[in-house]
Amino acid sequence: MVRFSVPTKARLPSSLRVDSSNPAVIKSLGRLSREALISLAISWLDEDTIANAVPYLERRDEEDEIDPDDIYPPCGSVQELYELYVEMQQQKGSKRDVANRILEGDWRHGLSLYQLAMVDFYYLEEHPMSQKWTAYKILPLKPPTKDADDEILQVDDKALNVPRFHPSTFLQSLQDQVLPDVKAHYQFYRPKDLSVLLLRIFVIESPYNSSMALSGVTGSGGATNFTSSRTVYLAFPDGSSHIYITKSQANGPAPTGESKSLQNLIIHGVPKALSRPRERYTLKPTSLTSRNLETLLDKRGPGRGNAAGGGWSIYASDKNKKSPLDAILPSPPLSRDSSLSEQNRKRSKPLNSDQRSAKRAKLVAQARFGDSGLVADGKGIERVDVLLKDPFPTPSAVENQGSEEDQANAPSETSVSARRRTIDAVLRQAADGDDEEMNEPGNPSQWRPTVQITFQGNHVFAGIRQLVEAGIVDGERMPGWMTGEDGVTVGVVKHGRIRGNKGSGL
Amino acid sequence: MDPAVDELQTNPLDEEIASLKKQVAHLRKTIKIECSTILSSPSIKEALVSSLNPQPSPKSAALRPRKPRKSVDRDEQLLLTRSKQQEAYNQQCLYRISASVTAFKVHDPDPNAVDGGHVLGLRFEVMTRGQFMQPYYVMLNRPYPNNNKTLRVHRHTVPPAIPLPGLAARYLPVPKQQMENDSSVALPKQDLERFVKSLRREIMRYHNRLGVSADLRRSLGAHSQAAADGLSQLPSNAIIDVSIADTEAKQIRLTWADERNGRLVMDDDGKVVKFMVFGAEGRDWETTKQLTDSQGRVEDVAKMLEEYAAGR
Repeated sequence: MVRFSVPTKARLPSSLRVDSSNPAVIKSLGRLSREALISLAISWLDEDTIANAVPYLERRDEEDEIDPDDIYPPCGSVQELYELYVEMQQQKGSKRDVANRILEGDWRHGLSLYQLAMVDFYYLEEHPMSQKWTAYKILPLKPPTKDADDEILQVDDKALNVPRFHPSTFLQSLQDQVLPDVKAHYQFYRPKDLSVLLLRIFVIESPYNSSMALSGVTGSGGATNFTSSRTVYLAFPDGSSHIYITKSQANGPAPTGESKSLQNLIIHGVPKALSRPRERYTLKPTSLTSRNLETLLDKRGPGRGNAAGGGWSIYASDKNKKSPLDAILPSPPLSRDSSLSEQNRKRSKPLNSDQRSAKRAKLVAQARFGDSGLVADGKGIERVDVLLKDPFPTPSAVENQGSEEDQANAPSETSVSARRRTIDAVLRQAADGDDEEMNEPGNPSQWRPTVQITFQGNHVFAGIRQLVEAGIVDGERMPGWMTGEDGVTVGVVKHGRIRGNKGSGL
Repeated sequence: MDPAVDELQTNPLDEEIASLKKQVAHLRKTIKIECSTILSSPSIKEALVSSLNPQPSPKSAALRPRKPRKSVDRDEQLLLTRSKQQEAYNQQCLYRISASVTAFKVHDPDPNAVDGGHVLGLRFEVMTRGQFMQPYYVMLNRPYPNNNKTLRVHRHTVPPAIPLPGLAARYLPVPKQQMENDSSVALPKQDLERFVKSLRREIMRYHNRLGVSADLRRSLGAHSQAAADGLSQLPSNAIIDVSIADTEAKQIRLTWADERNGRLVMDDDGKVVKFMVFGAEGRDWETTKQLTDSQGRVEDVAKMLEEYAAGR
């Protein structure tokens, strides 16, 4: 324990320990499975990380102090402890045993911030959907002119440089952005099966970076500083100029405004940390939010699918790769290509009208969605909010146009929650702050009701595709935004298209 | 029956089925190739056309029975359309082989698409190690009702490593709403040709850079394999890992067996701009100097790295 603490601007050291009786620590360990707990403990005892996760070991010279009541007698050496955990891996047992052993036995003097970060990362790996990620695009700014000090820099849309990200430099400059009355701990982690680099930022309100920050001599008694801590994850996809940020999470009850301000702090701090002298960047939200990191990697990632969603995905997928040296006439994408099914067709009796229309619906769905929107592709989006700004169809057009839209609108919940309000605000903002089609003559005779449609589910666009295949939604007249080809989860529809995003994805 | 014996009996059968299936797949492929070859031969096409439009000789018409003629006609019609498709496809392939950028027309399936769904597609061919890769596509549409010749990037499959937005802003600028300032300000001209040229250049550069680092990795691959196995005593100069360190593939990260690591930065054209080596105690000036003697292209440095790794 440090005798005295001096207010400082430094970051929280990884080896700083949090008391193992802290409810937040117990809770986060309790969320993990037994296998994860054991492999985590083994990873802590690794040579490279042991400095940040020193276990409680028996001291040779104080043999008389052995406590007979101790259920978890301390081990003599790290090697011994390591073997003990490897042995536990073979055996069966409850996860509570392991968690208790960690908390009350081998790390009874507390878990370091590094260990807590790793606990959270293991939880994220076990439950990849536990966080909600919002994708931001990193955009270069125009260099400032010489004399103006406080000018607002414009996005340089003609810049040809692609932003580059270097973890340790980024962290250093991010630390410079953090205010002195807030202390943060950073930990990088690379998940096994995704090409992203995760950064966990653990923020605590304290001027100290010693154990004072965590022990919480706050004067108000009971409540420790730990409960006012926040955790935010950033994800840096490999080879893509995007960044994914999660909402901050509190360990204890906290006013909602506070977590938002931290979010803002990070959104403002990250571009500054990414910038370098003579190269400035800004973050721009891309209206895509999902719990599924794989979806984000597909729509805002390093690959080809960023601006080729929906039916356009056939151009991005590897399946249709066709070398020009191969002169075999490719069967058009919608025909049955294998000769096997051709044989079947010859033998089977002619289709009746139901079967024919079902088949037609399938082909239309294939044409509109391409290779996207398949239930099993693991690229689901849970929620899509769309605000319709088009004039209400005139009676003659009603017959032609979308009854499905009204149906879709019906189940949207009536309880106005905080989340709902924020989405409304985003939609309004998107509707207002749009320079395109500004001078469009408003026709007062047209009735423009505000219709907001919310799609919810495990995989929204796969659901719409199934509706098309089942013939419930007319695939040919379905607007393009229902195929997910714009790659957004919040949008305003005008003239039947998502506005401000005429599809370029630029 | 004894399950073990049963298994023994089924196994050769399964194998036979598998091999037959393979044979069938092979034969199907051969048939397809033969078909396309026959269809694309000009003499077959001539024969098809002449059989469809026979010289009206009343004698033969009278002799021929009515019914079967119709179905033969239909089959020939089908063959002819197929042959026409094949011809068009052959032409497309030929263009794709000889020109690295080709254009085609697409129809946007969105019923609300701008400009009636007319979309101009551009196809950028890329080759790696003598093979055609999946091409990159850029789709352009004409969303501006006032200037019906101005294009805009609609969809594309270009990876984020290529600054497509910047190029589009430079060569395909958005026309200004010329409402208040009538014709005093000259409209920015769109230059599709330059856009395509510079985009193709960027794509090629990117692929060449990828190729350089892949070559480097391959030439040093033996060492990294040995390091992964962890059995041999590696010379400390051996490079065990080569990886791309940034989005644009302009930086290559090198890791030596003795935990030194280096960073190589190249410019657009593959010229080495910066090269540095970090040892256990900060910058390793000696190695850096040794390796940057050539001060040339990445390929030269790669060669030097190889020599250095071999211990010279």
